[in-house]
Amino acid sequence: MKTWQKLKQNPALWKQYFIREQVIKALRSFFDERKFHEVETPILIGNPPAESYLDVFETTLLDRHRNPKKAYLSTSPEIPLKKLMVAGIGNCYSITKSFRNTEMQSHTHNPEFTILEWYRTQTAYTKIMDDCEAFILHINSVLGHGTTLTYQDKSFDLSKKWQRISVKDAFKKWARVDLIEFFDIKKARKICAKKGYAVTATNTWEELYNQIYLNEIEPYLGVDQPTIIYDFPGSVAALARKKPNDTRFAERFEFYIAGLELGDCYGELTDWKEQEERFNTELVEIKRLGKTTYDYDHDFISALKEGMPEASGIAVGVDRLVMLFADVANIAETLFFPVEDQFEK
Amino acid sequence: MATISTADFKKGMFVAFKNEPHQIMEFQHVNPGKGSAFVRTRLKSLKTGKVQEFTYKSGESVEELPVETHEMQYLYPQGEGYVFMDNRTYDQVTVPKLLIGDFVRFMKENDTYQILIHEEDAIGVRLPKKVRLMVTVANEGGARGNTVGGALKAVTLETGAEVNVPLFIKQGEMIAIDPETGSYVERA
Repeated sequence: MKTWQKLKQNPALWKQYFIREQVIKALRSFFDERKFHEVETPILIGNPPAESYLDVFETTLLDRHRNPKKAYLSTSPEIPLKKLMVAGIGNCYSITKSFRNTEMQSHTHNPEFTILEWYRTQTAYTKIMDDCEAFILHINSVLGHGTTLTYQDKSFDLSKKWQRISVKDAFKKWARVDLIEFFDIKKARKICAKKGYAVTATNTWEELYNQIYLNEIEPYLGVDQPTIIYDFPGSVAALARKKPNDTRFAERFEFYIAGLELGDCYGELTDWKEQEERFNTELVEIKRLGKTTYDYDHDFISALKEGMPEASGIAVGVDRLVMLFADVANIAETLFFPVEDQFEK
Repeated sequence: MATISTADFKKGMFVAFKNEPHQIMEFQHVNPGKGSAFVRTRLKSLKTGKVQEFTYKSGESVEELPVETHEMQYLYPQGEGYVFMDNRTYDQVTVPKLLIGDFVRFMKENDTYQILIHEEDAIGVRLPKKVRLMVTVANEGGARGNTVGGALKAVTLETGAEVNVPLFIKQGEMIAIDPETGSYVERA
């Protein structure tokens, strides 16, 4: 049964779906109070940022004579927001649709999804951690639940400070691994093998790191209290500013509530050379993986050359926020028209 | 034992996990970024019924368990399992309750089912696409052909299971149910 049919049959369901508009209104009031500018960014773009772990949607733009040009659907509002920061907009945010192909058959993914990104110029990423605590509490209280958030029979006291733990401490606490030792790939292989993971000579360091992270650390994040996990190894946060006092780690954090990964924040890298190098590496990887290829946005590199102010930015999955506040376990239950309703199996 | 990769995973497949036989209940792809891809998998132990999650690296080798399918007749429940009999050989096996799970709601005595055997142990039943059962208790209600409205009512089947069906289904009718979801498919 399609969602609209379910709603016609069971009007009590509307309440769950109306949470979305309340969450988005609350988000806008949060940023308006703080004098952020709201920006609409293009969904139809000429050149995506090169990211090998994503699959882009490709389409064709026709001019008046039907001459075709390859075009793509935006995977994130980041690049346009950064260009505007170069131009001097200051603090800004965008609530928009992003598109990532192949992201289906998952309780927390829909190939078309709503993303919130906000950026603070001349501000450390730790201020964004404070923003996260504040906006979750703001939404919860606007929805009339005060400081108690309940999700899938678990209660969270939002008046308490969130758990903040570094990736290094998380590895020690939950995986009993010394991450500094683990940086040596030979030692990393031994540690993974000892834990019973399959290890081959072709596994990259990131694969070994992520397998431990996904199996032994992620299950604990945001379970008893909201969690901010911060300072990731540089190689899994290549576009984040390196920590000045320890360049093996980068200024990146993610936050989880009730096991849901809700946001990903970077202290932004502003060096155009590193950004361009990264785009080129990613394009090679995209070709190797057989994914849809494209040229990256050169205009973005030009903008970085002009000088982007120091900034920190974060991306938040709005549909997952709605899951949290509507207390549903499947992203499809936050969408009037989830992808499954539109395309036959 | 056949070596497969995570790319071959199918729901319901049997694999070795930590040297014990398990069944893949669910799996989904996870991309933490920087080129690496993973497969988050829910595995049920065939020994204990316990379900746990494990995230494989994409492309990792996994041992698939050799499983044979035998057509067997359901006889009766016994202790912690259900007894089935092979009509040709008269061999009997007991499938543990925890490996049949919810499907027991739709099992009818003397009906034939595909029983899964691994190394002489019965480890489960292959769910048929549809099961045909009679509606034994149904309250009257709703005009004929009222599927467009989508309204459903609860009825009881001959096995005792309660399912939701369109309003026009009457007591005594045979219907087809999808055993995986427990939902009405069509009149049988």
